[in-house]
Parts: sequence; C-alpha cells; structure tokens
Amino acid sequence: MQLVAQIVLNGVLLGGFYACMALGFSIVWGVMNVVNLAYGSMIMIGAYVTQMAVLQLGLPFAAALPLAALATFTMGYVLQRALLNRLAERSVFMTLIFTFGLNMALINLNLILFSADVRSLPDVFGRASFTIAGLSVPYGRATIFAVAMAMTLGLHALLNWTPLGNAIKATSFDPDAARLSGIDVPHVYALTFAIGGAIAGVTGALVATSYSFSPVAGESYTMKAFVVVVLGGLGSIPGAIIGGMLLGIVENLASLFLDSGYRDAVGFTLLLLVLVLRPRGLMGRRFFAEVKG
Amino acid sequence: MAALLARWRSSPWAGSLRTAALSCALLAILVVLPPFLSLYWLRLLTSVLMLAVIAQGMNAMAGFVGYPAFGNVVFFGMGAYGAALAMTAGFGVAPALLIGAVPAAVLALAVGPLLLRLRGHYFAIATLGLNEVVSALAANLSGFTGGAAGLSLPLGAGTASDAAYRAYSGFVALFAASLALGIFLRDSRFGYGCRAIRANEEAAEATGVATLRVKSIAWMLSALLTAAAGGLYARWVGFIEPSQVFDMSISVKAFVMFLLGGAGTVFGPLIGSLLIESATTLAWSHLLKFHLLILGVTIMLVVLMLPDGAQGFVARHWPAVRAWLRHRS
Repeated sequence: MQLVAQIVLNGVLLGGFYACMALGFSIVWGVMNVVNLAYGSMIMIGAYVTQMAVLQLGLPFAAALPLAALATFTMGYVLQRALLNRLAERSVFMTLIFTFGLNMALINLNLILFSADVRSLPDVFGRASFTIAGLSVPYGRATIFAVAMAMTLGLHALLNWTPLGNAIKATSFDPDAARLSGIDVPHVYALTFAIGGAIAGVTGALVATSYSFSPVAGESYTMKAFVVVVLGGLGSIPGAIIGGMLLGIVENLASLFLDSGYRDAVGFTLLLLVLVLRPRGLMGRRFFAEVKG
Repeated sequence: MAALLARWRSSPWAGSLRTAALSCALLAILVVLPPFLSLYWLRLLTSVLMLAVIAQGMNAMAGFVGYPAFGNVVFFGMGAYGAALAMTAGFGVAPALLIGAVPAAVLALAVGPLLLRLRGHYFAIATLGLNEVVSALAANLSGFTGGAAGLSLPLGAGTASDAAYRAYSGFVALFAASLALGIFLRDSRFGYGCRAIRANEEAAEATGVATLRVKSIAWMLSALLTAAAGGLYARWVGFIEPSQVFDMSISVKAFVMFLLGGAGTVFGPLIGSLLIESATTLAWSHLLKFHLLILGVTIMLVVLMLPDGAQGFVARHWPAVRAWLRHRS
C-alpha cells in the first residue's frame, strides 16, 4: 500500500511536469491546427540555453530559466511569422511534414553546436528530500512541480483575463471573423506559437535540472506531449492536467509490472484506446478540437 | 471506324493501357540496366526502387484515399521481422516474404475499421501510436525477435555482387507490383471509390460507396506492399534492428517523395524517390555532418514551394516559360 501510494505520488509530481509541457504543444495545435513535431527539439534548445547560462555565464538557475524561455519565445515567433503562416491554408499533413523536416534540421543544428554528448545540469536543487505522511518527496521534483503548475495557472490567466487571450481565442474560433473585427491574425498566430515556444523553453530548463538530455532526446518529449493532449483533450487546460497526471501515474505503475522498455508503449496504448473510444479526449471541448481536414 | 477509335480513346481502358505500356518500357530498361552499372550505382538504384515502393504504399492511402497514414512504417518493420524470422527458420525467400506480409495485412484489416473513423491529425497520430506500440514489442520480446540488439539473417549463397543483383531484381519485381497497384487505384471502380472518399467522404457515403470497407481494403493493399518491401530489405541488408526498420523517418521520406512526385499519380512515387534519394545520397557522400539538416531543409522547401509536386510545378510554370522562350526567338 505504502509502495502504491508512493508510486501514485511520483506519478502526480511527474504528471504536473507533463501537463505544463503539453500545454505549449496543445495551444499551437488548438489555435493554428499545427501539430508541431519540432516541439521536443525546442525543449532541448531550452535545456541547452539553461545549461550554458548556468555553467558558462555563471547565472543562477532562476535567471537562466527566463533566458531559455525568451530564446524559444523569439524562435517561435519568427518561425510562425516567416514560415508557418504561409501554410495556414494548406491541408493538415503539409504542416505535419513541414515540422518533421524542421525537427530534423534542428536536431542536426544541435548536434553541430553541442555535439551528441548526453548532458545534464546536476545539483541545482540538491539531492535532499522531505517526507509527507511517510512518503518521500525530493525537493527537486517538488520544485519542478511547483514551477510547472505556476506556468499552467499563468497560461490560464493569460488566456482568460487579458486582451491578448481574448484575441487568441477569437482567432482560434474563427480567423475570418477575427480579421474583420480588427485582429492582426498573422501576429496573433505568431504570438501563440511564441507562447508555446516559451513553455517549451521553461520545460527545457526544468529538464536540464533533473534529466539528462541530448539532441535526439527531444522526440520522446514530443511523443509524450501528443499523448497528454489526446488524453486530456485539445485546447483544455484542466484536460492537460488530468491527462498529464494520468500518464505520469500509468507510466510509474507500469514500471512496477513491466520491463522499463515498455514505458513509452504504455502511453501509446493508452492513446490508441482513448482515440478509439473517446476521440475528443477526456475533457476536450468541441470547438477547439474540431478537425479541420 | 473513326467513331469507334474516338470511343476507345475516351474509355478509361485506353489510359490504363497507355500507362501499362509506359510501365513495361520502364521495367524493360530496369531489367537490362544492371550490366552497365557499377555496384555503387546498382545499390543506389535499388534503394531508389525500394523507397518508390514504400512511397507508393503511402500514396495508396494518403494520395488516393486522402488519409495520412503517417505510421505506415509499422508494416515495413513487421514485414522485415516476419521475413527475417521465417528465413532464420529455414524458409525460402518467397514464402518468407509472404510470412512477413500477411500479418501486416491482417493488422491493417483488424485495426483499420477502428482507426479509419478518425480523420486528419487524429488518424495520423493513431498510426504513429500503432508504430510505437509494435516497435516496442519488437524491441522487448527479445526471446522471439532478438530484442533491441537486432537480428542477423543467414547469408545467401554467392558473392557480395550476387547478393546485390538478387536484391535489385527483387525490388524491380516489387516495383512492377507497385505500378500495377497505382494503375488499379487510378482506373478501377474501387479506385473511383477511393477518390470519392478523398474529395468528400459524406457525399461518397451518400452515393453508396461503402467508405469504411474501401478505406480498410486500401490500407491493407498499402500494408501488403510496404511489408513486402520490408522483407526484401531485411534480406538485402542481412541485419535488422527495431530502431532501424520502425524508423518514422522512412514514413516521412515516403510521404515527401509522393508529394514531390505528385500525389495520387502512378509514377509520382518513383519521380519523388529519384529526386530525393539522389539529393540525400549526394549529401551523405559529401557533407556527412549536415546530412539531416539538408534532408530537413529539403522537406521544408518541398512543402513550401512545391505543394502540388514537381509535375504540378512544371505545369503551373510551363506557359510562362514557353511565352518567355517565344519572346526570345
């Protein structure tokens, strides 16, 4: 019982991180109908920027994290503005293929710039842990969970209580009506991709603190973002939290019973089941998830 | 007589026969070519043909029916593993290919009716998930498949060049089958059903196309072709591992190839695979470090500049070029 409780707790902590990571992917998909297969590479760029800022510039982690977010924010804005906006009217698999190509190019650039070495940024939060009700919680995991939840709430506030949030939602419901009411649609698209990018950057900074990373490690994060978004439902913040925690708990439970090689496959089995049984996800709202082609 | 001739010309059979004649001429060239080629060029041509076959499998689903079967590489991997296991157990090449291809076709028929209810991104992602699950099984059932360490095949008789010629002729035969599939999907009643689904699925359903059945059968044909290519590939390279035969970039390459060559056409996959494979081989041999970058940028450029393929690009710009030429002379 104690063991199961510990595993569920670990799953919830990991799930909070997954939820935050998936939101950056989900907002781009929900608003522009773009499945960004280069998302994982953007997370890796966030991780590399964080590592360089801490090890080479000597910045504290708290300063490195916004720097990573800024880097991927800018990258996201430029990508959408210069390239992806041109594909807005095309069929969905054109953008899918496009971002796959982008991902290859980014992996290659990361390989050239940072080499294929597996890196990590040890001891940002120390190795200590505290206990609640007999369950141990490492400070590092707890901090990641807290930052991820803060990002999630921040995004919720941005989307619901600011003019920019209204513009983003209006554009995602009906780009033509948004254009007619004076919204600069290409700019809003670019800002949305940039926000998704900033979340990728923060995720990357968090990855750097407690996981090892390399140029090719990004793909597994893209896949997990997929699973969380499909589980929770596209464009839903509560859905992302539920989907993230579900994936976190299931992955941790599966590692009890199955070989660790099945870890990713378990998530995908869950994904296939949800797609077949409930294609809109557990919490998906209809208008966001409408399939456009 | 003239009326009869005109009627013949406008019947769909005339188009099929013309394409078939062109295909036969092309295959004849491929058959007589090997003595004039060095082993290097033979190997390159073999991989061009292999990718043309995989791209035709993708074209069958994504080009003709309009369903982006992004994870189609799952059938390639299954075909490779099925054939490799059968050959290790002592089966000949033809039965081994069948042993690899049948489970792939059965899988397509079994999950088709479930997954083909999804559209757009959701279908693409579901096929991707299917590939991840099957490839995880291949990597972890190590008693059966050799696991992540891979599987070595028994060596065939003869020298390395014999093996290269055998692989080449196998892929020429499979390429012929892929052209036949293309003609079938373009000109048959079944193919009209596919295209009706691509144009407007609700309207197709309303006019009596059994959409789910047509989609599932098309996916099964695509799976058969892709799995046979996987089996021949396993025999060709002699060693397979999960990360290599279930590699998503094979699917994506195939996708880009048929887009470049022209979606929903018979020869599109070959044209695309010739263009992309020669470009990437050049990149491999001269700029190894930038290989992925060049391939990635090529993919992005194809999507941005040539959405209707090279044929469409030429058709769009040909009048302007002709006018310019006339102006010059």
